[in-house]
Amino acid sequence: MATVEFHPQSVAAPAAHAARFFSEGDSHAVLLLHGLSSSPLELRYLARYLQSEGFTVCAPVIEGYSAGTRDLPMERWLEGAVREFDALASRYERVSICGLSIGGALALRLVRARPSAQSLVLLSLTLTYDGWAIPWYRFALDWAYYTPLRSRYRYREAEPFGLRNEALRAKIARAMQRNAFSEVGPSTIALPALHQALRMARAARREVAAIQNDTLVIHAIDDETSSPRNPRYVIDHIGSSFLRTVWLDDSYHMITSDNEREIVARETALFLRESELAHGAGDAGGQPVVSKALARRLRQLAAVGRERA
Amino acid sequence: MPGTAFGVAAALVEYFLGLGPAMMVMALGLGIADYLFVPPYADFTVFDYHDVFLLVSFPLVSLIVITLIERLRREQFRAQLITSVAQSRYEMLLRHDNERALARRAVDETHRLLRHLAQHHQGFILIKALERDAAARASVGQSTSYALPHAGDVAPGPLFDAVHPEDVHRITHGLWAGSHRVRLRRAQHGGEFRLTNCRCERFTTHAGDFLVLRTEQ
Repeated sequence: MATVEFHPQSVAAPAAHAARFFSEGDSHAVLLLHGLSSSPLELRYLARYLQSEGFTVCAPVIEGYSAGTRDLPMERWLEGAVREFDALASRYERVSICGLSIGGALALRLVRARPSAQSLVLLSLTLTYDGWAIPWYRFALDWAYYTPLRSRYRYREAEPFGLRNEALRAKIARAMQRNAFSEVGPSTIALPALHQALRMARAARREVAAIQNDTLVIHAIDDETSSPRNPRYVIDHIGSSFLRTVWLDDSYHMITSDNEREIVARETALFLRESELAHGAGDAGGQPVVSKALARRLRQLAAVGRERA
Repeated sequence: MPGTAFGVAAALVEYFLGLGPAMMVMALGLGIADYLFVPPYADFTVFDYHDVFLLVSFPLVSLIVITLIERLRREQFRAQLITSVAQSRYEMLLRHDNERALARRAVDETHRLLRHLAQHHQGFILIKALERDAAARASVGQSTSYALPHAGDVAPGPLFDAVHPEDVHRITHGLWAGSHRVRLRRAQHGGEFRLTNCRCERFTTHAGDFLVLRTEQ
């Protein structure tokens, strides 16, 4: 349970593993959105943990957005995500949205389309590709979209594949060579998909201020794909009253598979339960604060909040 | 030295706006300084040792200053990020501390319940589980010698059968921590019911909350 094993059969048949993940749990459903041109595989550890904590977990494959599907404009991605959300919302009392990387931008747009969502979890949110491993001439890719290169060139994922854990990185590198796919995402991304993703991120950026759902932001400070400026923008502009930020320093971009995946999974589950309780859903009135240190800290935070108000 | 003011300007811009604007200011400053402050003034066409002096000294000094400030700014940014990591770790630690404190309290309560059960086992009337899934949670890793009550259910104690039927109904439905008066049939008094003072105590254990009703002895 504590490790993400790389199964040999997933190398042999990546298409089988790109299938949607669904597991029935209690009345709180979590919609997990993976990264661009990737698959629910990269959220496997988080999905299993949430499942073991009793949540209903759904990690869908979205037409046009997930790997191995045809090109579609980003409005269609959003429609696909909204459909998945509505399917969950009709069956479960509460639905939370959790997005990894560009999936975070999709989650931001989805929560704008469906403000009834319980809470929003943004893991390694990517609004622009500006991490330290992104070459300075990356903007040329945005222009290449308007040239005949559009259908020929594919952006190739390189070391460190978003992983700080070197053993895992070596495994992924081998898998990427043998295969077009791995558990931390695709080895290449097509230019049209990249173009649509950036359009979506720009749209998401404009709408951040109107979001009022409970929000958890988890980001690694050494993220090689999206710098801490991305979540910082959301933290500064979002309208939610219950906002929690967790900064990690022993991971890169793929925080759901890297060294701190346990922390990510635990904090996500904890936050979702607390958000439930904050909205009066709990019968026992929530977990009481017994720790004196925590009580002191909460009083401090409350005092800071009053000063700002 | 003609470029001093522009060097200072570049350093200030670097501190407040960053590397790109500072480089721009330096390049512009070099041109303006050469045009306006190097004799012959307002003329680019003459190139002598004054121009060479400016062309070497101004970029050299400005670049050194800008690079140093940029490096310090980067370290500062890095330090702020590490501070935020430390802060979120501290908050995680506090949340864990709360969980640990709760767990310890539950363990203490469980021990108190066990002592209570051992001490007053003769005087029990009933045990009631408050939490819905208490029984399910309690059944994990427990020897099942003692039947734990089910969802909102009661487990009868040794004196349960001696309670007056009306009181049975009352105490199984509305029970709270504190003292109660219950009619009990006493064997030594020929089977008649007598009012008896009882105590009800609440235990918040790891397996959920329990109310234990016993006679006062």
